Amino acid sequence: MATFPSTDWFDAVRKAFNADDAFHGAGGGACSTVMGAKIGRRQFLLTFEGLECSAAREVSEPDLATADFYLDMPYADWRAMIQNIAANGRADLHHTLNTLDLDRPEGLSRSIHGDQYREDLFFRYNQTMQFYFDASARVKTEFAE
Amino acid sequence: MTQNTGTGARPGVGPAGSEPASATPATPPPFDRPNAAVAAAQADAAPVKPPPPRLTWMGITHQWGTRVKPGKHGLRLGDLNVGIYGEVPAVWNDQTRNPRGAVARRGIPPVGYSIRDKADLWADCAADLYEEAIQRRWAPATDVPWATLASLPDDLEAAICQVATELSQYANVDVEAVTHWQHQMAYGYHEVKQFLATVSFDAARHLEAFRKRALANGGGLGLEGPGEVNRMILESRGGWTETVLYLFVLRGLFTQTMLRYLERYATCDAERAIYGNCLEDKARHLTYGVDHLWYSINHQPDQKLITQQLCIIGERVLVRELKDPVLREALSIVFAGGVARAASEGAAVYRKMMRDFVRRYLDVMKWLGVERTAMFPDELAQYLRND
Amino acid sequence: MGEAGAASQQGELDLGWMKRRGEWGVRAEPSKQGLTLADIQIGSYGDPVAVSDNQTGRPRGAAARATSMRIGGYSVTRKSEIWLENASFLYEEALQRQWSSATDVPWHTIRPLPDDIEQAQCQLATFLTEVEFVAGDVPARWISQTTPDYFEPRQCLLAQVMDESRHMDVFRKRALANGGGLMLTSGGTAGVVGSIDLSRDFTEMSSRLHISGEGAVLTIFRMGELMAYNEAEKAMYRLCSQDEARHVAFGVMHMRYMSEAAPERREEIQCYLDEAERQILAGSQNPAGTQTDASEALAILLGGGKDKYDEGLKKLIAIRKRQVTEYVKRVRTTGFGDRFDNGRSQLPALMNQAAA
Repeated sequence: MATFPSTDWFDAVRKAFNADDAFHGAGGGACSTVMGAKIGRRQFLLTFEGLECSAAREVSEPDLATADFYLDMPYADWRAMIQNIAANGRADLHHTLNTLDLDRPEGLSRSIHGDQYREDLFFRYNQTMQFYFDASARVKTEFAE
Repeated sequence: MTQNTGTGARPGVGPAGSEPASATPATPPPFDRPNAAVAAAQADAAPVKPPPPRLTWMGITHQWGTRVKPGKHGLRLGDLNVGIYGEVPAVWNDQTRNPRGAVARRGIPPVGYSIRDKADLWADCAADLYEEAIQRRWAPATDVPWATLASLPDDLEAAICQVATELSQYANVDVEAVTHWQHQMAYGYHEVKQFLATVSFDAARHLEAFRKRALANGGGLGLEGPGEVNRMILESRGGWTETVLYLFVLRGLFTQTMLRYLERYATCDAERAIYGNCLEDKARHLTYGVDHLWYSINHQPDQKLITQQLCIIGERVLVRELKDPVLREALSIVFAGGVARAASEGAAVYRKMMRDFVRRYLDVMKWLGVERTAMFPDELAQYLRND
Repeated sequence: MGEAGAASQQGELDLGWMKRRGEWGVRAEPSKQGLTLADIQIGSYGDPVAVSDNQTGRPRGAAARATSMRIGGYSVTRKSEIWLENASFLYEEALQRQWSSATDVPWHTIRPLPDDIEQAQCQLATFLTEVEFVAGDVPARWISQTTPDYFEPRQCLLAQVMDESRHMDVFRKRALANGGGLMLTSGGTAGVVGSIDLSRDFTEMSSRLHISGEGAVLTIFRMGELMAYNEAEKAMYRLCSQDEARHVAFGVMHMRYMSEAAPERREEIQCYLDEAERQILAGSQNPAGTQTDASEALAILLGGGKDKYDEGLKKLIAIRKRQVTEYVKRVRTTGFGDRFDNGRSQLPALMNQAAA
């Protein structure tokens, strides 16, 4: 059981993602990016190298500047997305990353550096990101709040 | 929603046969008006009720109610050829980018496709080959076990690098020849265009894979090829069919045969993977080439005679190029494992390779109904006699 | 007879060619991502010349033969016309992230939809098929005209041609998979959009295709994913978006290179961007403007039906405003962002008004 949000949780998802070849093809595949996740007042960085998510760690907010892009939404929305994935085995039609990004005026994916080329990695690797969070269906999750 | 056919007129709307409304807006486009952006932004600041939609496109279709279901191998391109969507006309006069089966708009300026006759490019297998190419894709960076490369004697490494250099150059010709013609083909035959996209992508992989091999094991690139056949392929003024004959059949079969022998004499798994994967790709290209030539010969008067003439010309160019000793010597060294036995054992394997190529080439042409007995170059025929 | 020496006779080898070769002793090492194109950019092999005189199609770095047949006639022979710094990376990424419309889209999840929704989906699919025809044809033409000395950008364009082929295939499949069919062509791929065909210069073409065109199509694909009614449509639009974002990245990086390497062309490139922005302004940024058929279809899909068209149109305009924001940020990334600060571009005024 891993608590969301925590490094343990992101690590558990990382391991589930890395372990299944099904997450590495079908439009996923090798990529190279550092993605951030901002959940309330906590921030995490995930490193994707090749076919793997190679690292997950908790960082301070200024460290998000090193991310190519980071996903930012209220804790309640994160929880809803993860619960939706757990219930369905993957994100349903209303909880995919792109949907969540376009459904909110301020978007889901953003950056501190403002370099759109790097922000566009959210689009270029969208399937991989989706597979990563879909892999959370295989992690028993309890929520901090 | 009822099925509509013919001009695309919507039943019950306007007179029968009425044309769909033009897409041109009634007001001039904003950029023709001063401060259009500011005006637009100001309009946005004060809530504006958008104009009602015209929806003139609704109900406009030649065939509705189409429901193609995925089969055992998924939903394949060829599966879509049902009803009107599968009607592939002998000539596609539409000079726009109208998808086959869609309702064309009148008055659209032509884009200008020069290949509009089915017999100039068609092959029944194109759709299947397209899907096969996608399913059997490979990436040289990660699907070749590069770590299995081991240091080789200098003469052998030099020979392999020379062969890789020439094969990379052949791949470049594939790229340039296919992309030169592909964009000139009308979209009535999208299956062929889509398959050729996979061919040029395969060629990109081959160009890359052979270059990587040459630079990965202490060698480097060798001497460029003589280029006679390259130029013949790229200067095929007679059209795509002529290019197909030279690129996929004459040169393609030669390359394929070479790859088979290279795979047989590969020094490691990395080379085996490169040659083996390229071989699969080339086999697909050849299949298209033969299928297209068959279609062309059987649907165009004189095409058999024309093909016969092209063969006579092409074979002579190939023979001239094969007189150059570089590739022959390099291959002989590869087959012999070094210079020491290249002139004897290696050369014997080379002759065997050439025999296999010539035999296969003649078989293919015979199957197409183009017997290559008359005026067949002796320099190629000799490989059959030396059996 | 080639320069390699006298004809070999039976039992004798010339071997003169062994002394005629490119830089020797090269040993590229695979990285974590395998043996990539970037890994073989070693020594002279990784150093494309500023102006190419390669008319025989020889691989870059191979030894030349004086007697080799000329095949060239390339129109793109200067590095500054086509280069981008991360072409190798984008190409390898394209290879790794290929997908199959036949098997990677869960077509079995499509269920019958209300007629207006199905018509809108099919009209959009018809339009997108048509648009992808442009994006497949045009790069192909430029590939054949580019010297192989700049094979890295060419490889990217070859990957794009493959991607676009897949897109035109997947939209045709969508149109014919759920009780619908192909509908009315837009004709918009001639004329203004068709000016991509008419480009006489690679950078001109790339600014129209990659920066402007593909950027707009990326937004449409993202909207497609947002408004998808089943897993198949979600997957289809998401996978297409990935490809499209890669094409946009090509354009951005090429333009960035141009900004640094060809300052004498800045004003020319600014004119291409002027033209791209005229199209943005003429589009559905203007809520009072007439919508195209494809935009009407999008509005129906975003709203959830013909009777919710107004709602859908508002969403469409809101998303298109984000597209403008992203476009501006991309152009700033390329080094041409001064146009937004010196009054040349009208887009900032549009964005400020929208934000107010």
